[in-house]
Order: sequence, then structure tokens, then C-alpha cells
Amino acid sequence: MKVALFVPCYIDQFYPQVGIATLQLLEKLGVQAHFPAQQTCCGQPLANSGCERDALPIYKHFVDTFQDYDYVVAPSGSCVYHVRKHFDKLDQTAEVQHVRGAAYDLIDFISTVLKVESLPGAFPHKVGLHLSCHGQRGLHQANESEMTPVRDGQLSRLLRSLDGIELTNLNRNDECCGFGGTFCVSEAGISARMGQDRVADHVRNGTQVLTGSDMSCLMHLEGIVRRAKMPIKVMHAAEILNGVTS
Amino acid sequence: MSASRDRILAAAQANKPEELPLPTVPLFGGDATAERFTTVLAGIGGTVVWLDGLASLVPTLQKLFPDAQNTASPLFRGTVPVDAQTPTGILAAIDLAVLPGEIGVAENGAIWLPEANMLHRALPTVTQHLALVLDQRRIVATMHQAYALLPHTGGYGKFVAGPSKTADIEQSLVIGAHGARSLVVLLY
Amino acid sequence: MNHAIRADKFLLDADRTTWHDETLWFVREKRDKAVYAVPEFQELRELASQIKNHTLSRLDLYLREFEAAAQANGVFVHWAADAAEHNAIILDIIRKQGATRVVKSKSMLTEECHLNPYLLQNGVEVVDTDLGERIIQFRDEAPSHIVLPAIHLKKEDVGDTFHTHLGTTKGESDPQRLTEAARQHLRAKFLAGEVAISGVNFAIAETGAVVVCTNEGNADLGVNLAKVHIAAMGIEKIIPRLSDLGVFTRLLARSATGQPVTTYTSHFTKPLPGREMHIVIVDNGRTQQLGRPDFRASLKCIRCGACMNTCPVYRRSGGHSYDFTVPGPIGAILSPNIDMKKHASLPFASTLCGSCTDVCPVKIDIHTQLYKWRQVLGEANEIPASKKWGMKFMGRVLASTRVYGLGGQFARRALRLLPHGLTHAPSFNAWAVARELPTPPKYSFREWYAQQPQPTSQPTPQVPA
Repeated sequence: MKVALFVPCYIDQFYPQVGIATLQLLEKLGVQAHFPAQQTCCGQPLANSGCERDALPIYKHFVDTFQDYDYVVAPSGSCVYHVRKHFDKLDQTAEVQHVRGAAYDLIDFISTVLKVESLPGAFPHKVGLHLSCHGQRGLHQANESEMTPVRDGQLSRLLRSLDGIELTNLNRNDECCGFGGTFCVSEAGISARMGQDRVADHVRNGTQVLTGSDMSCLMHLEGIVRRAKMPIKVMHAAEILNGVTS
Repeated sequence: MSASRDRILAAAQANKPEELPLPTVPLFGGDATAERFTTVLAGIGGTVVWLDGLASLVPTLQKLFPDAQNTASPLFRGTVPVDAQTPTGILAAIDLAVLPGEIGVAENGAIWLPEANMLHRALPTVTQHLALVLDQRRIVATMHQAYALLPHTGGYGKFVAGPSKTADIEQSLVIGAHGARSLVVLLY
Repeated sequence: MNHAIRADKFLLDADRTTWHDETLWFVREKRDKAVYAVPEFQELRELASQIKNHTLSRLDLYLREFEAAAQANGVFVHWAADAAEHNAIILDIIRKQGATRVVKSKSMLTEECHLNPYLLQNGVEVVDTDLGERIIQFRDEAPSHIVLPAIHLKKEDVGDTFHTHLGTTKGESDPQRLTEAARQHLRAKFLAGEVAISGVNFAIAETGAVVVCTNEGNADLGVNLAKVHIAAMGIEKIIPRLSDLGVFTRLLARSATGQPVTTYTSHFTKPLPGREMHIVIVDNGRTQQLGRPDFRASLKCIRCGACMNTCPVYRRSGGHSYDFTVPGPIGAILSPNIDMKKHASLPFASTLCGSCTDVCPVKIDIHTQLYKWRQVLGEANEIPASKKWGMKFMGRVLASTRVYGLGGQFARRALRLLPHGLTHAPSFNAWAVARELPTPPKYSFREWYAQQPQPTSQPTPQVPA
């Protein structure tokens, strides 16, 4: 199994520790992932801004970069969702179809491909899970509250397997954090307010560590937490899972 | 006017997608009990009262609505005779209308009320209070079964589920908006 | 003015924003409870979607069938290509009656056509009889929600309005007493009404009937006391069969307010002898939308408002921030069809979280359409120039590994070296108004990776049992 690591642009530049944790966690689970150095971005920021046409060269570059791998794993469900859903704009060559199907969010890959449902280790903290909309509603990694009251999902299952962990029960289990890509600056007011409300839900319900599998939401929430100097630590799930796994 | 008709129809024809199939709607199953109907109706502000046979209708109503002066009903002689020609002013003074319902729906507490059972089309909403009389054997589980039982809907007819209500002020539920202030379903 | 600017005005009152968000979330929660209680709910959504898709694919035929059936019922059928024609037809019917007193139950179509000001200009008193609509009519405001038109107002606001217009006690803000005052006021209007206008929730092709759903009973009261009933409907309200209502009536109120069904589901088929019933069938851009393959599914909408109640942006920006008759996510995909330039910011007033699509009872792919409208707007140069050129620049950078690597290094270094006051200045960094920027690390992931000993081969994974 040839597995490539896709480290989205903003993680590469701002959160290298998340890329490192992803790589190390995969290694501990027996997967030697390779990081093709020519990779850049999935093109989502452009496409979500209405500039899909300008994103096409990026899409092509993405496919060229990853076409020889069986899986492309990224610590960001949003990018994966974009590749799967919106690369339909490319000519659907065998390579394009392959890459679209091969793209996996890290937690999805661990759960679905590696079929790992629990991990040994302890994380004795109260952990608030932020479900990313693209991971949850787009990639169906967790139940949507619009459909069912049952709160379950890949990441909550993995986290619940850790010793000593307590997951926060939120008032709104899967409300959007308000990041939304370029939305976070074009609608900065609403974006910030949504983020503040999301963080407040965690604070109210006792979250000590706020985590999720999509670093873009977490970047936004971390910005809110740090600005308001709240006593919450924001970590990507890869960092938690890698930290507890030997 | 007919120019617009032709233009709209031509544009609809030109712009519609390739034909897609019309699905068959199953009847689904479901609980058709009077208990469920009662619980659901209570949840939307209505009340079920059991009659000991139709003969006990009038005494039951007297107990439920001791203050009702102006009553209208095709089931017994009310104080106000109402038909399709009754003037608005007389209708507006009616306190209680007692009408026979045709079909009850357990999943939502609705009752089918055809025009033939209304005396006047406005009566079920203009009356201050409404009582619907229903044979419990006519309760079905869902709207699918209810529509399946309707051969047609006549000139006018409606499902009535509970009293008139609104939540237009701050989502506060208020019973008694413009229509009947209360709804009692008399089951027998 | 774009959505973001109007949203910022709404957000200025933080407490009111909280209240608005929580009030609508409460409706979403009621919807959830009602939906969870119906085991076949997802199946019903699929059926509703298929029935609507089928109907759109035969729309001209069903419209003809409906017209013929309605005419056979003794109903006058009128066709309006646009809002102006819709208004003119209705005024004409009213004038032929010599009537001046009109009562109107809820109809988003007549809002869309701006019927009220048109009738008032022409000497007709038109009274909105839905409580929420009446409140905003007194205040001369537009509805901020399609099901809950006055949801932007607090009970104290309504109290002030009723004090002014209905003479209620100053400071009275109890919803029960305010509703009673409206009941008394509107009863008089109902009793005096000469012509009643209603909207249409469903128009049944096989029977020619129109179905109107209300909780207050205002449509029934108005229509059945007036001599003439005018029902205004968009062409997309058609459904093929009476039995299809089994599906739609089970979905509509549960999705809208969490009720199992609306209080009144009224079927208007034939007028009484001596009375008149008119149906005005309106296009006003709908056939154009039908011709847009990516967007025609928006015509499946049954106007339940669930997408508004669930939308985290709508809840925090209010319906008026959309400046369109139908606000929220569904409005954001309907409005560019009407006026692309004016409503260009609406498809961007979303995080594309997808909750709207998940609650939609007829399965409109709302968030996908929002994304697709963005592309249409981008191609039509209806997005801000700075964004357009910025994105073109990013496109170049991100298609090249080398340029990307250099740019990233530069940005991180700049962030580290420049003072916080400069990097976080709200005047040119919208991110930093309420958020800290990430702490720039010394190295990027790729720089770290390049320093690592590279594996020579790729081992097969050992999956734990």
C-alpha cells in the first residue's frame, strides 16, 4: 500500500506539528506515508470564492502529484471533501478518478481503511470535539443531528477508547464554527460571532482540550480562544492520538 | 393574458429537464389507535373527550360548555340555525359549533372535515369554540391512509388539527389566534 | 451594500443577536424532535424530492391539466408573466367587484410582487391577516422569515407597535394579550372583507384544487367570509395527485415548526354559487430558473423555512440582511436568478456547512447550489475585483511548488518579524478583528520533512487486529 501524506498549505506553513503528528501516528499504525514535496494545495480557497477556473491548474497539479499512490491522507477533511466532490470539473481521466477516490481524511483512513476503532493510551482530560461540517456532512464521518439524535462518529469512537478521557456534551453538537474558508474574512463579523458562540458552548460545558480532525476550523477557533484568553487548549486530533500511542 | 399563458407554457416546455419518473407512495404502517390520537392532539392544544354513545352528546356538551349561548350543529338542534346563506353577523356571534368529523389521523391529531359537515364554510373557524364528533373506528395512522380514504375533497374541505394558534410573537405559543379558541374531539 | 455590511449592523447588538440565534435554534430543535419521531422521515424526503423532480420534468403538462380541472370547477384561471402583470390582474378583479376592502393571508408570492403597496396606491385597503404579517405591515417592514415574518421583533417591539396602532396599553408586551388584541382587530376586518387573497401551498393537477396551510385559520376565515377568493401561486406549486399530499403534509409542518401538521390544511376546489374563485398562476423568473440545470432544483422548495432556522449565518444576521423576499440559504440561491448584480453577495453569505441541505424536506442541494452560484458570479465578474485578482494570483502560486514554498517562507517570516499591532490591524486584516493569527512556526512541515532520514522503501502496513 503506497500512502501519500497531503499536508494542506496552511498546515504546512502554520501547523507543521500537525503534519508531523499525522506522519508519526500513521507510522505507529504501520503505515509509512510519503510526503511528495511538489504538493501545494487542493484549490478550495479559490473555488469557494467563485474562481474555480483559476483553480483548475491547482487541481491538475494535485492529481499529477498524487496519482501514483494508493491513498492520499490529509489531516483536513475539508480539503479531502473538495478533492472528492469538486474535482468533477476536471476531465475524468483514470488518474483523476483514482485520486478522487484515494483521498482520505486522516481519521476516516484510520477508521475505514485501517479499520482501527480503538487505541491504547490515556488522555485524562475533558475533551470537546469539534465536528467539521465537511467531515461530518460531506464525508459522513459522524451522524448529523439533522437526521438522528444518535451522536456517534469515527473520531468520537477513537477518542472514547482512550483511558481517562471525558468527552464534552455540547448544547449544539454539530453547529458550524464559522470558518468557511474565505468566508472568515469576507464575512468576518458573522464568522467571528459563530466562532465565539462555538467556543462558548465548549467553555460552558467544561471543555479543557478542544480537538477535531480539521485543522482549518481549529485554526479559526484557536484564534478566538487566544484572543479571548480562554483556558482551553486547541489540538488537532492527530496530536492527541499520536501523543498517547507508543 | 392569454399571451402570457402561452409564453409561460412554452418556456416551461422548452426549459424542463428530461422526464423523470413519478414514484409510487407506499401507505406506510403506523399506530392507528385512539390512544395515540389522544396524546398527539393533547400535544397540539386539543382535547379528547369520550362519549358514551352518540346519545350522550348533548349532556356532555352541556357539561363541557355550560356558558355557550349560541350553538350550531347538524347533529342536534342548536340555538342558531346555520346554512350556507347565514349572514356573517350571525355567524360571528356563534360560541360553539359541533360538527361531525369524517377521518381522524393518529400521527398528527388532524380530522377531515368536508364541506357537507360544516353547515357554512366559515363556521369551523368563525365559531369561538369547535367540537368535532368522531367515530373512533375512523382513526387511521397517517396522512397517507387518510388521503387514500378520501374519494375527493368536494368543493371545500379541510383537515383541522387542534385549535387556532400562533407563535408569531417571539415564538410564544398562543392558543386562539383568529379561528376557534378551543377544539374538543368527542370520540365514540 | 452587501450582506456582510448589513450583517455587521445586525451584530452590533450582541444581546439581540444571541436572542435571535437562540429563538430560531429553538425552532430547529422542535423540528429535530418531530423529525426523529417519524421513522420513515428520510424516505418521505426522498419521495417528496422525486415527486417534485417529476413534476418539474412535466411542468407544462401539469399546468395545463391543472388549469383545465380548475376551470371545470368553475374557477377563473389567470396567467401572469411577471410581478407587474400579477398585480394588475388582482387589481382588475378587485375593481370589477367594486371592492375596496381586501384581506390577505400569507403569501410570499404577493410579497415578491410587492402587491400591497400597489393596491394601496390604487385605493384598495389590503390587510394582512397573519399575525406576524400584520405586525410588520403596521411597521412598514418586510418579513424577515418566510414562516415567521416578525421573528426579528421582540414582544416589547410588538407591544409598542400595537400601542400605536391598536391602542393597547402602553408597555403591554404579553404575547397572549397582544394576540387577543390582534384577534379582535382582525375579526372586524374579516367580517368586512369583500375580497380575500391567499397564497397557495400546493396546487393539485388532477383536481384543480389549491391547498393552503395555516395555523391561525386566517386563510379560511378570510376566504369563506368574502365574496371573492383570489389565490396567487407560482408555477412551481403544482403537484400531480391528491395522494401526494400525504407526503408533503407530513413533511411541511414538521420541518417548519416541529408541529405534526399545520392546524388547518384547507382544500379550496370550487366556489359556492354566487361567489367567485380566481387563481393567478405566476412565472416571474421561474421558467428561467427551470432552464438552469444547476439551479432548477430550487423550484422544488415548499417554503418551510427549515433552512433559515438551521442556518448559522441567518440566525446571526437576520432575515433583512439578505434584502430579498425569501431570505436565508434558499433565498441566496433564488435571488441571483432574479437580479445577479444586486444579490451577488448572497451566495457568499454561507460557510457551505451543508446543514440547509440536510434539513430540506424536498432535498434541495442548497449548499451545492450556493457553491455553483459562486462560480457563475465569478465568471460574470460579479465578485469584488480584489478577490478576483487575489485568487488569480493564488492560482499561479499554488500551481507551482517553487513559488509556493518561497511565498510561505516569506509570509511566516513577516508574521514573526512585524509587530503585533501591524499584523493584527483590523483595517487591513479582517481575520484579526476578533481572532489571533496563528503563531508562526520557525519551519514549515516541508522544511522539517526534508531534514528527516527518508525511508528507502514503503513497507506494507501492519493493521492491528
